[in-house]
Amino acid sequence: MIAFEEVSVRYAKGGAWALRDVTVEVGRGEFVFVVGPSGSGKSTMLRLVILERPATVGRVRVAGHDLTRMSPRRVPVLRRQVGTVFQDFRLLAGKTVHQNVAYVLQVLGTKRHEIRHTVPETLELVGLQDKAKRLPHELSGGEQQRVAIARAMVNKPKVLLADEPTGNLDPQTSREIVGILDRINRTGTTVVMATHDTYIVDTFRKRVVQLRDGVIVRDQADGEYAPLDLEVLNSRMPEPEGVALR
Amino acid sequence: MRPAFLLGEVANGLRRNTSMFVSVVLVTMVSLFFLGSGLLAQQQVDTAKGYWYDKVQVSVYLCTADSADVSACAAGAATAQQRDQVRSDLDGLDPLVENYWFESNEEAYERFQDQFRNSAVVENIPQESIPESFRVQLADPQKYEVVAAAFDGAPGVESVEDQRELVDKLFAFLNVVSVASVALAGAMVICSVVLISTTIRLTAWSRRRETGIMRLVGASAFTIHAPFVVETVIATMLGAALAIGLLWAMVSYGVSGFLTELLAGESGLVALVGAADVWLISPLLLAGAVALAVVTSWLALRRYVQV
Repeated sequence: MIAFEEVSVRYAKGGAWALRDVTVEVGRGEFVFVVGPSGSGKSTMLRLVILERPATVGRVRVAGHDLTRMSPRRVPVLRRQVGTVFQDFRLLAGKTVHQNVAYVLQVLGTKRHEIRHTVPETLELVGLQDKAKRLPHELSGGEQQRVAIARAMVNKPKVLLADEPTGNLDPQTSREIVGILDRINRTGTTVVMATHDTYIVDTFRKRVVQLRDGVIVRDQADGEYAPLDLEVLNSRMPEPEGVALR
Repeated sequence: MRPAFLLGEVANGLRRNTSMFVSVVLVTMVSLFFLGSGLLAQQQVDTAKGYWYDKVQVSVYLCTADSADVSACAAGAATAQQRDQVRSDLDGLDPLVENYWFESNEEAYERFQDQFRNSAVVENIPQESIPESFRVQLADPQKYEVVAAAFDGAPGVESVEDQRELVDKLFAFLNVVSVASVALAGAMVICSVVLISTTIRLTAWSRRRETGIMRLVGASAFTIHAPFVVETVIATMLGAALAIGLLWAMVSYGVSGFLTELLAGESGLVALVGAADVWLISPLLLAGAVALAVVTSWLALRRYVQV
């Protein structure tokens, strides 16, 4: 579903490499944690998948598209097949839960009657069917993130990307959120989640791709977060601010 | 994207940015008003030209008692015989002369008094000083030289004047007005362009979350840009409509009303632009407004709204 072939990225000519020679493949229906400290290249990897930026070197393929040769006109087609969730939810403050989720379908030109039954279905998937008329500020952080997940899923994408989705949430809520992602994964959606939450990674026991300084240092099925002693040390060191997805 | 959703987005945008919207409307109005004024001044020149050129073209002034300094008038005022000579010469120039008429001293003095009724000059100029003249309409106005040569220096003829030279001065003035208006319009159009792109930049900023989500879920560039373009087109078209209204008011109350009354009964300069001329340039102004909106917002969106 997603394949990186010897991908390197740098943001400025002559600058430091954000990713170096990354080769990794994520199959259809897989659930992958991308872990590593801030600035290790997790977000950069996700940005490449939705062609928020191109690879400097190497080839990225997503759902049958070769992103290296994709014309700008085709980029929206790619993005319709990939849902994205962020740490900061990014909901529209003036719209209700229902409207936030429906917005995606409206933008894509879905027919009204279709929106009327697809949105409640999707809200049910994340357990928010009773809060459709609430505004985002009336919801808890966990509930807001569920709205964001519903919004990412309402268009039934093949891939769901989650960039630190539990970064603003307490451990209990975090587990609920990843539980939802896990459920979504079981219906056949490929899920890639970037995180540095050791507790979550250790609880869910999925494939773990570990990055350090833009290089994959570990790729392990049913992995834990930190079998490398150095990693713990690294994560406590002051790091330059990571480049977040805009 | 369905039209209803697009309109909803547009209404949202207008609500959020009312003051900028109003300023775009007003700046567009002023720039198109100047552009329209320039075009109308140009039309005034054309209208008046046709009107004047159809009338008097060459005036053959006869000698008066005061014009002894001109050699042809050394004998004093033109005699009836000299006058008849000129008349028969004019008849002889038949293919060149379309028409002519004689303006007697009384008629000329009356017209002079009327023209300068507000001036002290009337008291100081005796009736004898106002020359009689033949007003000649040419078959081809370009052939002025031939006619002038035929009468220049003839006995009893003080001077031959190409009237177009006089009205051309008026037209030159109107042309300056027209060019100045269009130049001002140009400056104002630059203002509009800058203001529109600033507005789009601000709107894009206030709507960055929406556009961010649109991009993320795979909305086409068209979908993302359409609300901005539609808003801008609405603003400039409103500005154009107001400009057309102002031009119409200026022409119907200012030109047709006030100026016509002022000039009525005078030299006959009654061929003025009217409301019909405003309607004639209206489609041009509207098209200009739409083009301004589309081109400017396209440029601004390329710069400020990433897809």
